[in-house]
Amino acid sequence: MFETSLCQILFYVLAALAVLCAAGVVGYRNPVNSAMCMAVCFAMVAAIFFGMGAQFLGIVQLIVYAGAILVLFLFVVMMLDIHNESKSRGSLVHAAICLLIAGFFAGIISWVSISLPGAKDNTCPAITLCESAGELLIGDAHQVKEAPAAAPQYGGCLPELNAAAAARMENPSISDADAAKATSIPDVKLLGKCLYTHYNIPFVILGFALLSGTVGAVALARKIRKD
Amino acid sequence: MDAIINWYNDLMSNEIWFYLIHTLLKLVLMFAVILAFVVLSVWIERRVAGWIQDRPGPNRAGLPLFLLQRWGSKEKQPLKNWLQFFGIPETCWIARLCTWLRLDREIPCWGLIQPCLDGGKLFLKQETTPSYVRKFYFILAPMLVLGPPMVAAAVIPFASEVNTCYGHISMCVANLDIGPLWIFAISGLSVYGLTLAGWSSNSKFPFLGGLRATAQLISYEVSMGLSIIPLLMMFGTLNLQQIVQFQADNGWTLLPLWGEGLSWQRWAMMLPLGISFIIFVTCVFAEANRTPFDMAECETDLVAGYHAEYSSMKFASFFMGEYAAMVIGSAVVVTLFLGGWSIGFGADAALSAYSDWLAVLCQLCMFIVKLLAFIFFFVWVRWTLPRFRWDQVMKLGWLYFLEITVANIFLAAAVLYFIK
Repeated sequence: MFETSLCQILFYVLAALAVLCAAGVVGYRNPVNSAMCMAVCFAMVAAIFFGMGAQFLGIVQLIVYAGAILVLFLFVVMMLDIHNESKSRGSLVHAAICLLIAGFFAGIISWVSISLPGAKDNTCPAITLCESAGELLIGDAHQVKEAPAAAPQYGGCLPELNAAAAARMENPSISDADAAKATSIPDVKLLGKCLYTHYNIPFVILGFALLSGTVGAVALARKIRKD
Repeated sequence: MDAIINWYNDLMSNEIWFYLIHTLLKLVLMFAVILAFVVLSVWIERRVAGWIQDRPGPNRAGLPLFLLQRWGSKEKQPLKNWLQFFGIPETCWIARLCTWLRLDREIPCWGLIQPCLDGGKLFLKQETTPSYVRKFYFILAPMLVLGPPMVAAAVIPFASEVNTCYGHISMCVANLDIGPLWIFAISGLSVYGLTLAGWSSNSKFPFLGGLRATAQLISYEVSMGLSIIPLLMMFGTLNLQQIVQFQADNGWTLLPLWGEGLSWQRWAMMLPLGISFIIFVTCVFAEANRTPFDMAECETDLVAGYHAEYSSMKFASFFMGEYAAMVIGSAVVVTLFLGGWSIGFGADAALSAYSDWLAVLCQLCMFIVKLLAFIFFFVWVRWTLPRFRWDQVMKLGWLYFLEITVANIFLAAAVLYFIK
């Protein structure tokens, strides 16, 4: 299949670029370089989402992370104008602590991905996950039945219906971004349905957490001015 | 000959090749049209500015006739030969009128050649890169400003769909199910260009300009995204081709005069949709960084803002990026609010019943006419309203637009729920 093989090639290229950029985020001493690497990394992840057929997730990744949050990052970095490049390299203890933290996160991620159903027999973990927990995830069983059962290898073209649900399992942080953009195209519909029915209470709690964060930020910013 | 036709048939019957070929054709067409419109809108801007300020504007530059000699024409004075051909004496009033209109020296195009000449001039200018800039980002920034609007144009439908014997063609480059979001996301990436331009210039005013541009773009992106939610609630889809089809069948968003557009609900929706329109258009102005929102390059405070250190084609990239953003912004407004390619009053369905290709051609013309009209409006606003103050811009974005758009969503929901 032309499409599948192209998708797979693209997936590996994009994934390699994403990993390279992620390494660049840590590796560069100049914070602006790091931030730009992070932007490219986000863009690559968004492109992978696109390749999987989860267009909405990809676009939200671009709008929220690459388009807004990271620009604010860059903003702050430029305002502070940190000259980290000139600093000498850190001590051995410093390196050990960094390694420990990185190892901890790597351990969590690999543990999660290994314990996903379908991860060991080389089928896509996300698809098998959806099939096993489809009803819980989406809410209607009939939609899951419609999805084709044949699972291509990881990185291939996922069936569109499952793509959203699948990708959401990989990226739970999508919830807050999705709030403003709930409309009714298939994967958007699925996301919205799941978010506002099954995960309604966590969603509302998250909303309040964000609101209190905003209010807190305003309060802190106001305090500085005495006039 | 038969072999060629057979080969063509085989090629087009292959689904993948058919897809690749028609997508590539549309891509080239779209790109060419956008670039042509960038040039054209520069000319429109200067002519309309001249008109508003009661001066001619660039109305002279035509195709100079000495080019004919360069291209091998032996005739030195085409006008003289032309007059001789018709038997008109060189001293009569027609000849003098032609000379007065400079027809002996150039082919007049109402000054349309002016932007091309300006482009040529910018190419020939000396390229100076100051020694104190951060070079990589300094070079990257103009690309990041010019590129995104071009990519964002991919989802804008410029005509309806055609059924050919080889398959179905939708007249937009990428018929994504997330049209408006794609445009917001991609054109939002041009923020990077402005920020990096300001920062990498390593000097005071460009930096301030870059920061202002970033803050402004991020602020207005929020209201821009929220303001179209009432529309999406009505359309029930995010696919731009379907959105325009809906408007062709049921009345344009702001002109519901046929189809289901005559219902009470649609007329009641005019209130939230009108609010959406005003806010969205204002946000498009702010996103395109144009007066009254051109805080980032406000001469009185910031010299020239983020591109103060740029020269030659790098400056031209910023310039063209601004106009490309303007063209795309106009195209989005036309698509969402003014019916996109639809001719209106049920003419689309009638035309496509007659011939698909004729319908597509008419719709393309309609889209271009609407686009030109909106670009004119854009320019009109620029030369009519004075620039805001910085605090006013921020106040408008965060204190008024954000609240109004959120309230507007509830209003639209109430209308859709209660009025049937």
